[in-house]
Amino acid sequence: MTNRLSLYRGVCLCLALLGVLLRLDAAEPIVYSHFANAGPLNPHLYSPNQLYAQELVYEPLVMAGPAGTVEPGLAERWTVSEDGLVYTFYLRDGVRFTDGEPFNAEAVVKNFDAILANRARHAWLELANKIASYRAVDDLVFELTLSAPYYPTLNDLSLPRPFRFISPKAIPASGTTGQGIVAPVGTGRYVLAESRLGVHDRFAPNPSHWSGVPADADVLVKIIPDPMSRAMALETGEIDLVFGHGQISYDVFGALEKNTNFETAISDPMGTVAIAINSGKSPTDDRRVRQALQHMVDKDALIRGILLGTQPRADFLFAPDEPYADVGLVPYEYDPDTANRLLDEAGWHRAGNGGFRDRDGVSLAIDFVYIGNDAAHKALAETIQGQAARVGIWIDLQGVEEDLFLRRQRDGDFGMIMSPTWGPPFEPHAILGSMRLPAHADFQAQSGLPDKAGLDQAITRALESTDEAERAAGIARVLTTLHEEAVYLPIHYTCLFSAYRKGVLSGVRFAPGRTLIPFEDFRKPGSRP
Amino acid sequence: MIRFILKRLLALIPVLFAVSVVVFVLLRTGENDPAMSYLRLSGIPPTDDALADARLALGLDRPVLVQYLEWLGRAVRLDFGRSYVTGAPVTDHLLHYLPNTLYLAGVSLLLTLALSLPLGVAGAVWRGKWPDHLTRRLAAIGVSAPSFWLGFLFILLFSVKLGWLPSVGSGGPAHVIMPAFSVALMSMCINMRLLRGGMVAEMSSRHILYARMRGVTPGVIVGKHVLRNSLIPVVTAIGMHVGEILGGAVVAEIVFSWPGVGRYAVSAIYNRDFPVMQCFILMMTVIFVFANLLTDIACAAIDPRIRLDNGGKA
Repeated sequence: MTNRLSLYRGVCLCLALLGVLLRLDAAEPIVYSHFANAGPLNPHLYSPNQLYAQELVYEPLVMAGPAGTVEPGLAERWTVSEDGLVYTFYLRDGVRFTDGEPFNAEAVVKNFDAILANRARHAWLELANKIASYRAVDDLVFELTLSAPYYPTLNDLSLPRPFRFISPKAIPASGTTGQGIVAPVGTGRYVLAESRLGVHDRFAPNPSHWSGVPADADVLVKIIPDPMSRAMALETGEIDLVFGHGQISYDVFGALEKNTNFETAISDPMGTVAIAINSGKSPTDDRRVRQALQHMVDKDALIRGILLGTQPRADFLFAPDEPYADVGLVPYEYDPDTANRLLDEAGWHRAGNGGFRDRDGVSLAIDFVYIGNDAAHKALAETIQGQAARVGIWIDLQGVEEDLFLRRQRDGDFGMIMSPTWGPPFEPHAILGSMRLPAHADFQAQSGLPDKAGLDQAITRALESTDEAERAAGIARVLTTLHEEAVYLPIHYTCLFSAYRKGVLSGVRFAPGRTLIPFEDFRKPGSRP
Repeated sequence: MIRFILKRLLALIPVLFAVSVVVFVLLRTGENDPAMSYLRLSGIPPTDDALADARLALGLDRPVLVQYLEWLGRAVRLDFGRSYVTGAPVTDHLLHYLPNTLYLAGVSLLLTLALSLPLGVAGAVWRGKWPDHLTRRLAAIGVSAPSFWLGFLFILLFSVKLGWLPSVGSGGPAHVIMPAFSVALMSMCINMRLLRGGMVAEMSSRHILYARMRGVTPGVIVGKHVLRNSLIPVVTAIGMHVGEILGGAVVAEIVFSWPGVGRYAVSAIYNRDFPVMQCFILMMTVIFVFANLLTDIACAAIDPRIRLDNGGKA
């Protein structure tokens, strides 16, 4: 077996080398940077596999489009049975993996076998729990049957993992990819040509990509963990661009925006930075206290001062342009007077010296949990602490390590906790689905609501509904309840940044999701138009 | 001498054992929970079932003593387990990164010696004159400026403004210059001042006065008599500089994106990647102990009055 694997790896290497030799006249590589190597590039697993790299090498049956839509991917079309249980995918003809293996219904079945052999790992994704069976109808037709209708099936299939396709020859003999893969071989626009641990990864275009328009330049991804070093490398020209969220700090991006030598852009909202407020724990178990928190935060000042105006204010858990999210809610405006009135009504009064409020000898104190070494969240938390003090609330800041953060989230051991959403294409369906899982902050934050069980059922019904209007109404009800109950304090929407020196690149754009970087559209001078 | 080296090498065993116990216990006290770290790094929701499974899989359900002995049993065979983040054997990755760190530390040490010796001598020979003033000011800056700050200043000047040197990575000789300088500067300044102080004291001693009276040339006095006798504290300090340089290298590796073991370890600490942290600390202990051993041997070689074999008696 070992010899066969070695032979297979050797053949892959030879093919890759041949590809490199045939591309001697290729354009200069696009130089990007990331905080870590791409990882083993297993399409069916999570960390340390990097999402952007999985997107480059592997493709889904359907691709995420704008505003929650899906577009043809490896399937050129599909049909859904009237009861919403059977999805039939008609696969593209002539698609091959980069090792020459054909992509067909049999390959899809083998990938589904490999993914679902490890079903427990994917339980966070509702589709993994809903799949009842699947089969190859013929060489180019694949049929997926669910145990119950699930409207975001296509959205889940478009996610960067786990429903992406690796060459059947790269799946270990055990038939599961849960313990690893033989080699990273997909159908995507790029192949992993070289990986030097801690130094760089190089992705070469897949010359036989089914689109017929292969990318024309390699993508060299240098490993630069520190955002400030990355900014310096951009300045010196050692990398061509920064792209995404968290690549550089807000102030560095603000400086680049003002620098006429650089082109910068900010994407549409790709998620929300929100704070979950615990309805199951005093004093935030009182809705009036939660609503007071909504009114006492001056988000505009916070965005101006900390985020340098680079991110838009968020009034709702999901940006209104996301699917089913525009439900006509009225924002909580910044209004300290209303906050004071609500707190008075709730029985929390100032002690007379203008200090913090108390009730029956107990101070109005709320613990606010965040990951201590997240500089942006720390600054947000400290500013909110100052704003809360003005209305007499003592916010007890608790910057903790990530493990403890997870534990407190899981145990509901918080008054307020940072709870950023995942952004498209996960929203709103994957976030709504996760609200029913006790390990998530959302579940704990909602645990004190009068009808939490009913809310969970409403989410389940909405996700399973085959009637568009009924589904929209169900999601509207959930979002309205959460908004009125003031369980989330949205601060700002998360937008991606791109920045590059003028003349170095053209065609830089954002993809519909936050994990895909459309390098194939980026051009360096001298490359073909 | 050989007996001394063997004794020191044997002494390494209890030191490593003690360090391993302390590290193992410390990492498992307080709020540290390897099972939670494992789940977080694997992207698995930390449900009660998942935590129980992880504890079972990682052997955390057994008494700490049993866990330690099992870990020790593997560690003596250089098997430090697998990283929670990458799933790869820890030893493989650390050995992959170690040469880069040793290269950076080695160049930094060479720079420390190559610059501190002439500058220290210059400060002593021209005491009270401009070389002395210059080196004094340089030393003040060198010991007070944090290496990460210096690193960014170097990048700003030599990479962004002048475009002379690459700011990140480890591709060629040019890449090592700035990280090595930022790491070496503090040790270099300390060494320089130590040497200068030692030489100034030595110059006022009687045997130097007699040498002058005998008509020995100033070059021979400085080179043969003053410098050699002033080197002992400098060599001793170098042993400590190894630690300083390795600590500085951790910071420099992050600032300059140098693919070394320090950057790997910091990432592990940040992620609470327990197997990597344990292995890293033990590896650093070994390096420190060996550095001190080499320092003692060098001192003995320079100064024959030091009799290592009979307890230091002349």
